[in-house]
Amino acid sequence: MNSSRIDLRPRCDGLSRRDFLHLGALSCLGLSLADLFRFQALADSPRAKRDLSCILIWLDGGPSHIETFDPKPDAPIEVRGEFKAISTSVDGIRICEHLPRTAKVMREVALLRSLTHELGNHDTGSHYLLTGHRPTPAVQYPSLGSIIARETGIVRALPPYLAIPEAVPAAGAGYLPGAFSPFAIGGDPSKPDYKVRDLHPPESVGFDRVDRRRSMQQALDGFARHVEDSPATASRDAYYEQAYRLLTSPEAKGAFDLGQEPRSMRERYGFKRVGTGCLLARRLVEAGARFVTVVDDGWDMHQQIFKAMPDAFFPGSGKLPALDSAYATLIEDLKERGLLDTTLVVMMGEFGRTPKINAAAGRDHWPRAGFVLFAGGGVRGGQLIGATDAYGETPSERPVRPEDVAFTLLNLLGVQPDKEYIAPGGRPLKILAEGGFIDGLV
Amino acid sequence: MPPVIGWLLAFPLTASEPASHMSFVADVLPQLTKAGCNTGACHGAATGQGGFQLSLLGYDPEHDYQAITRELEGRRIDLATPARSLILRKPTRELDHEGGLRIERDSVAWRKLVDWMSQGAGYGPPELHVSAIEVHPAAGFLISPGESHSLRVTARRSDGTVEEVTSLALYSPNDDGIAEVSEDGVVTVKNPGLTAIMVRYSGHVAAVRVGAPYTKDPEPAAVAFPVRNFIDEHVFAGLKRLRIPPSALSEDQVFLRRVYLDVAGRLPTPDEIEAFQTRADSEANRMDVIDRLMDEPGFVDFWTLKLADLLLINSSKMGAEGARAYHGWLRQQVADNVPMDRMVDVLLTAEGNPDENGPANFYRLTRDPRDMSEFVGQTLLGTQVACARCHNHPFDRWTMDDYHSFAAYFARTGLEGGRIVQRAFGEVQHPKTGRDASPRPLGGGANAAEHEDDRRAPLAKWMTSPDNPMFPRAFVNRVWKELLGRGLVEPVDDLRPTNPPSNPALLDALAEHFIRNGYDLRDLIRTIVSSGTYQLSSRANGLNHLDDRHFSRAYLKPLTAQVLADAIAQATGVPEEFAGQPSGVRAVELIDPQVPSYTLDVFGRCDRTVTCAPGSQTGGGLSQALHLLNGPVINARTGQVAQRLMTSAQSDEDRIRELYLRTLSRPPDARELDHWTGVLAQAGSPRAALEDLLWALLNSREFAFNH
Repeated sequence: MNSSRIDLRPRCDGLSRRDFLHLGALSCLGLSLADLFRFQALADSPRAKRDLSCILIWLDGGPSHIETFDPKPDAPIEVRGEFKAISTSVDGIRICEHLPRTAKVMREVALLRSLTHELGNHDTGSHYLLTGHRPTPAVQYPSLGSIIARETGIVRALPPYLAIPEAVPAAGAGYLPGAFSPFAIGGDPSKPDYKVRDLHPPESVGFDRVDRRRSMQQALDGFARHVEDSPATASRDAYYEQAYRLLTSPEAKGAFDLGQEPRSMRERYGFKRVGTGCLLARRLVEAGARFVTVVDDGWDMHQQIFKAMPDAFFPGSGKLPALDSAYATLIEDLKERGLLDTTLVVMMGEFGRTPKINAAAGRDHWPRAGFVLFAGGGVRGGQLIGATDAYGETPSERPVRPEDVAFTLLNLLGVQPDKEYIAPGGRPLKILAEGGFIDGLV
Repeated sequence: MPPVIGWLLAFPLTASEPASHMSFVADVLPQLTKAGCNTGACHGAATGQGGFQLSLLGYDPEHDYQAITRELEGRRIDLATPARSLILRKPTRELDHEGGLRIERDSVAWRKLVDWMSQGAGYGPPELHVSAIEVHPAAGFLISPGESHSLRVTARRSDGTVEEVTSLALYSPNDDGIAEVSEDGVVTVKNPGLTAIMVRYSGHVAAVRVGAPYTKDPEPAAVAFPVRNFIDEHVFAGLKRLRIPPSALSEDQVFLRRVYLDVAGRLPTPDEIEAFQTRADSEANRMDVIDRLMDEPGFVDFWTLKLADLLLINSSKMGAEGARAYHGWLRQQVADNVPMDRMVDVLLTAEGNPDENGPANFYRLTRDPRDMSEFVGQTLLGTQVACARCHNHPFDRWTMDDYHSFAAYFARTGLEGGRIVQRAFGEVQHPKTGRDASPRPLGGGANAAEHEDDRRAPLAKWMTSPDNPMFPRAFVNRVWKELLGRGLVEPVDDLRPTNPPSNPALLDALAEHFIRNGYDLRDLIRTIVSSGTYQLSSRANGLNHLDDRHFSRAYLKPLTAQVLADAIAQATGVPEEFAGQPSGVRAVELIDPQVPSYTLDVFGRCDRTVTCAPGSQTGGGLSQALHLLNGPVINARTGQVAQRLMTSAQSDEDRIRELYLRTLSRPPDARELDHWTGVLAQAGSPRAALEDLLWALLNSREFAFNH
């Protein structure tokens, strides 16, 4: 068998015997060529050296930097807007008055105020931030989460990369095998009767039948002489593989169950989507997930920004109070559980917003200035990195580009960004073509 | 000597010299381009780098001349002591330069720049430019893996002179798994296969095809190739050239399933399979099936779906009424086999109330003439013009002039009082000149639009002219991909000289055939699926398993979202119910992607907000696997079938055979029959075991792929 290139040992090390029994016909020894094909995607995915996990809170739509983490209290009214700046637990760092609980945890946070790029629409901007590459029609780049999944390998029952509730388009596997795309839990976890879709077989189908079905499926695929092994079949088989592992692990399934959290904890996070999402993300990271994206949409505030940000309409209507309890509680909770050192929490969106308020009392897209919050995972908290000019138009100190954010994130999670992957067609591509580590962050 | 005095002394000197001999365009700019100064990542970025901005790859020499000689109070150049100019001290890293070392001191580029500045840093003859480039050998070459071969590039200037520019052209391989190319144009082929090297110089692009045969054996392709029509001659010629042995012709039952799924978007029924197998002559038999499939309503539904995906028919953009009118019109065109050039003509010139006149919804996608021109380019002409919105296209021939002139065709189309109308005003302004762009076809050529009431009529005439191969090439390539699983050009919306087809003669021949036969969709499909190439087996023969673009075997195609959902419903005889739709409506018949269906979402249906790559799965992944394993899409159906089979069929063998025919469209072979009768005989509940077998068949690889 012509298999000397493919080293299967990492997979064998990473799997318990029980996992293998559940894989039916497969065993570490005596894999057929078909099996080799099937697991090629997985086989060369050694576990990343460091066990850091990452929670990415993605503020979809492009959050205004001025109304959040880069207030400009001394700018003219048409720039500074209606909100005041408040002091935080760190001398010299002031943030928006509607983030009082976040202000208290700033000691844990490195606040980057000088994110800058030039891609001012949602799709291209998101792609840039989430992959570290400017989009090009020639190559579909993998997202940071997919890279982490690729480096982790599919070694646990729980998928390494998850999205709550759905993944944004740029957060996919790109040219990597589909097995490294995020598992989107779907639906709205803040609803009381929420269940992750399709996680349990129908009630009429007991465990013995699930086992029988699986062995039947494997027998059929063994017979399938018309369908030879190829990247397409390998990718499909990898999905099934992942699904079976998840189904056969009560621990993994339990991680999705918010009902196991005390009510007091749910209240601390808040019952809005972003709060529930952050709580679920913490449970998933605790259970071994490597990269969890919590998508919070609604930040594209072209109009009425001063109504949409705080609870201007009714309690719970505003974006900032919901984010405030979600983010601050996540940081506190991770710290209380001793997980903050091994969990990198990143919060960002695709760009900032225009320093000058528009005619509809909103702000438009502004990629030249934006913010990123880093906490945990060895990050030195309580510091500012970079600054924008007096009106928040453009970085005045230490401009940082999306590829630098991507480089830093990957590096912190133990991935070398100059490593090469083989894209379809045998094309070797570096994970990142550009970018460098953000000095002073750790 | 202080630089100021140097400048004072130098000035009268250069002023009294005869005019500069060197041309900024022809002598200087190519050096900067070669050094990488004006790439998108460096000073060619829209905002430049470090306060210095050049046009991307030098497409705007006048701008670059200004930037170098005038900006920063002229400090970028130093006429007296050229070596001290910023333009040299930065890239040589005498001064800190974020872009690193780009030009070595005393190199050819360095000396050219020094000479140019010593001669006064003039622009040179204002009209002088490069009018064409040529790459030698133009026909490309095949060499053995590991071998190298040099390219030679010449440029013809507008003054008629020709010079060799091999060392100054930019080279990049389209697939560097197959070949690499050095900075001075030496190509090294690494692996068997064929790819192209893109060559760029002074705003011109070219490509040359290079590669290596699959074997050293001069005649491995002595295998019988089923030559049925001109397609096979071209494919076989390509395979012989690369020495890739083709797979054998597919078996009858494999062909039958394949052609049903590809042409009608459904599985053959057990009766249809029986009828096919009992007939003798294979080739005539296959032709009969193809003709019958073209006549059934399923064909119309299925190809309407594909075209609706292409045209982005979606109630979120068009409203429910508009989407219904548009879809109804489109379906009628497919049913009546209206020539595709006529359809394009009607779409481009559509007017009136789009809720009543379907094709007028074509203009409901966007109000911006530029966006409209990009959409038309991408979907109908298979070309990405969008790059040229802000700068000349770096890989294609499109200039900013081309882009804005093309967009100008759509400048007077708008929605007024609920109707798509032509106004007497409306222009597209060229961002550089600020002037109105006058409508002109892509790639130049005459246009009479200014004298027409409707600018779009001459556009439609140009796009559907038999002399213009752009639309036919793009369209046949898309249909080819639908049927063969991979385009002759990939991606299908990026046909350009620097991205040549895997088989250029075949794409030409198909486009020519399409034009000659009146842009006939049915004829095109029939021609492709009756070729031997389409009917090859998907099983590799040892050597050709690495071939993924020369069609030496059939490539696996995953069942697309709607087809998969319908196939599950058909195999079980339990239709899927869609909210707000009459009972029994199949997924391929749905007008609108807004019809809610988690199953279709997770199977990756095109949501028609932006052009979906055919066969791409936006859903899929773990979610799809979980849905197939645990969701109702299969589990809610298997019980009924098993129950029915327990009473209707006589024996386990009959039951197994029936399940195989319903799902895999073939009877089980002896080994399979033996295996499953054994499994069923041992089962406590035969009915539950039968249900589980059906479940497993629907979750099998063979079911999931069209092979």
